[in-house]
Amino acid sequence: MATLSDISRRSALGLLGAGAAGFALFGPRGRSAPPKGRLVLDYWEKWTGLEGKAMGEVVDAFNASQDRLFVRYLITGTIHQKALISIAGGVSPDIIGLNSFTVPTYAESGAILPLDDLAAKAGLRMNDYAAGMRRVMQHNGRWWATINTGGTLALYYNKGLFAECEAELRQRGLDASRAPRTIEEWELASEAITKTKQDGTIERAGHLHIEPGWWSWIWGYSFGGTIFDEDRQLALAGSAENLAAYAWLERTSAGRVEHVKRFTEGFGPYGTARSAFLTGQVAMVVQGPWLANQIKEHRPNLDYGVAPVPTAAAVYDPAAPIACIDTDVLMIPAGAKHPEASMEFIAFTQRQDNVEKLALAHCKGSPMVKASDSFVAQHPNRGVRLHTQLADSPRAFFAPRTPVWAEMKDPFDTAVLSMWRQQLQSGPTLAGLQRGAQAMIDRNNKLKQRRGEPTAGPTSGPAAAGATS
Amino acid sequence: MSEKRSTLAGLAFTAPWLLGASVFLFLPMFLSAWYSLTDYPILKAPVFVGLANYTELLGDARFWRVVMHTAIFAAISIPLSTAVSLVLAALVATPGLRFANLYKAIIFVPTLVPMMASAMIWLWLFNGQYGLINGLLAAVGFANGPNWLTDEWFVIPAVVIASLWGVGQAVVVYAAAMKEVPRELYEAAGIDGMGVLSRFWHVTMPMISPVILFNVVTLLIGTLQIFALPYVLFRNERGQNASGDFYTLMLYDNAFVNQRMGYASAMAWLQMVVILVLTGIMFAASRKLVHYRA
Repeated sequence: MATLSDISRRSALGLLGAGAAGFALFGPRGRSAPPKGRLVLDYWEKWTGLEGKAMGEVVDAFNASQDRLFVRYLITGTIHQKALISIAGGVSPDIIGLNSFTVPTYAESGAILPLDDLAAKAGLRMNDYAAGMRRVMQHNGRWWATINTGGTLALYYNKGLFAECEAELRQRGLDASRAPRTIEEWELASEAITKTKQDGTIERAGHLHIEPGWWSWIWGYSFGGTIFDEDRQLALAGSAENLAAYAWLERTSAGRVEHVKRFTEGFGPYGTARSAFLTGQVAMVVQGPWLANQIKEHRPNLDYGVAPVPTAAAVYDPAAPIACIDTDVLMIPAGAKHPEASMEFIAFTQRQDNVEKLALAHCKGSPMVKASDSFVAQHPNRGVRLHTQLADSPRAFFAPRTPVWAEMKDPFDTAVLSMWRQQLQSGPTLAGLQRGAQAMIDRNNKLKQRRGEPTAGPTSGPAAAGATS
Repeated sequence: MSEKRSTLAGLAFTAPWLLGASVFLFLPMFLSAWYSLTDYPILKAPVFVGLANYTELLGDARFWRVVMHTAIFAAISIPLSTAVSLVLAALVATPGLRFANLYKAIIFVPTLVPMMASAMIWLWLFNGQYGLINGLLAAVGFANGPNWLTDEWFVIPAVVIASLWGVGQAVVVYAAAMKEVPRELYEAAGIDGMGVLSRFWHVTMPMISPVILFNVVTLLIGTLQIFALPYVLFRNERGQNASGDFYTLMLYDNAFVNQRMGYASAMAWLQMVVILVLTGIMFAASRKLVHYRA
């Protein structure tokens, strides 16, 4: 019987060589090998799952629409870190899809190209976008990014649970057929819907600030405040409005922290059928339009409504709702080899038909001022009109426009979680957050001065809302 | 072979390592030392700021918090992990034990599971509402087990318990070292009237002390750099649980989230200095505590 030692070195090498050749000839291939003769553009996108697939269809449509360019589409996790390293290393992709809060950092670092001229040549006009979106796309008076789908935050509420708790809601003077409009109504509605056992175990919650808890910094805005004054470069976490907001947050968790902790540990992650809103464990959440996609996917029979995030009675104005814009952006990295070709692809994605096709698939609103009748008529998100209105609201706001935002946000998230858990008191904590944030802003401005860069640009706040191309 | 040829051959054989270490270890270390003296936001060129990063660290509340958490974790985890490994090794190295290799395999296999995967398993084991650990506690009469992942006082114990999952490698090394202890020493100790525990303490421990030193040093380095476990257990969409914040998490955040590579490099160098000092202290102590066979 032959043994391993009987195999000669030549035969072994021959076998290995044959295996390697077979793998090279018949092994796995990339999904979309670029056709010969076309200029290849690399496009990195953060979207995964259904959203990533929908964008892939837009890319395929672009590749099929002409024969000069070919967009190679790569969905990538932890895209912010990868974008950072690749741009710094000079091997950036040609187009990159990130989140809106990155615009100031990337713009001020010179990591992305200004689009003013490129966009004008490609026929894009700033005025075609909703007012709030225009502000997101600009920084320091220049145009840096385009938007594919509109992301604004609203209150998603479970109509079925509201109907079930009609008596409790009416008892508190509330109307079960609509969402709460003010903070006071919100707190009462939450109380009416919350269901606890005798031992305090929570079975259902009306609203929890920490579900999903992605925007720990927004609550002061509902009281008419802000956490950053861009014009004066001031951190304002300790303002009266923020104090009121986080005192409210503390109040809602007081006396039940342990039960809430246990209750929230039972929630499934976002994107699954076991997430708290989809299972009915939480009746009201502040979320973006993408939630409708999850409902469509996992709980198509869920009866839900969408309303503006409630505000303090003193700042309630239905004509100008306060809403956070958190949306996607497309940018051209500074290292892109063919910026005009990159812009050609971006312009294709910004065509009304393509924007609407993608927004429909994502269940989001359009970032554009105009939307076709069929878009609204066939939209799967019940709140699409509202989301569009929120994007155009003069009181729409977004993450602080400063390169130190990521650094500011991290302690904010941690501190808010600790306040919610009654481990920290809101007053001194907010004062500490303000001091810390101010130190970061000052340090950044000092370093910018040292580098000979301008320290504070023109406002991108409400005054810039009317900016045109 | 002449001496010159021999030297050239030696250099040729070590060249791949020297080249790799130069490019991927010494050069990054040198650059990192330089970056620690600069403001380096990754997307812009570094600007020299002297010792500003180091002085800023000393006034950073989060820095002191993560130093404290990491130190507490190391102080509990290193002795506990060493003790558990030694006990398990002594059990599997018992002469004449049936299925000894099977037990070794069972203890070793968990170390083959990628850290992220085992962290995900622990995430569910520690779940306050549906977790197996609280389920077991309830079964033995503790109806309200702790919220392991959120209670201030249970967060570090949770990481310690989860990190014990990886003792298999140390157990195998200790068991091998125990097998090497000359039988005649045990026989002599037996004749002198020593019991099992006494023999373990006075014979086994001194004889395997070089291996213990090696394991404790590697454990120290790994423990002070703990990252994946707390990253998965204590960081989610709602933010970082402050009680579960560790040194390397802060370092990572500064490097890749806050884009402060200079600040992160200063942290990395402080971490390295601390590890070097502690390792030096261990080696100094080993002169009296570690027994090397002639």
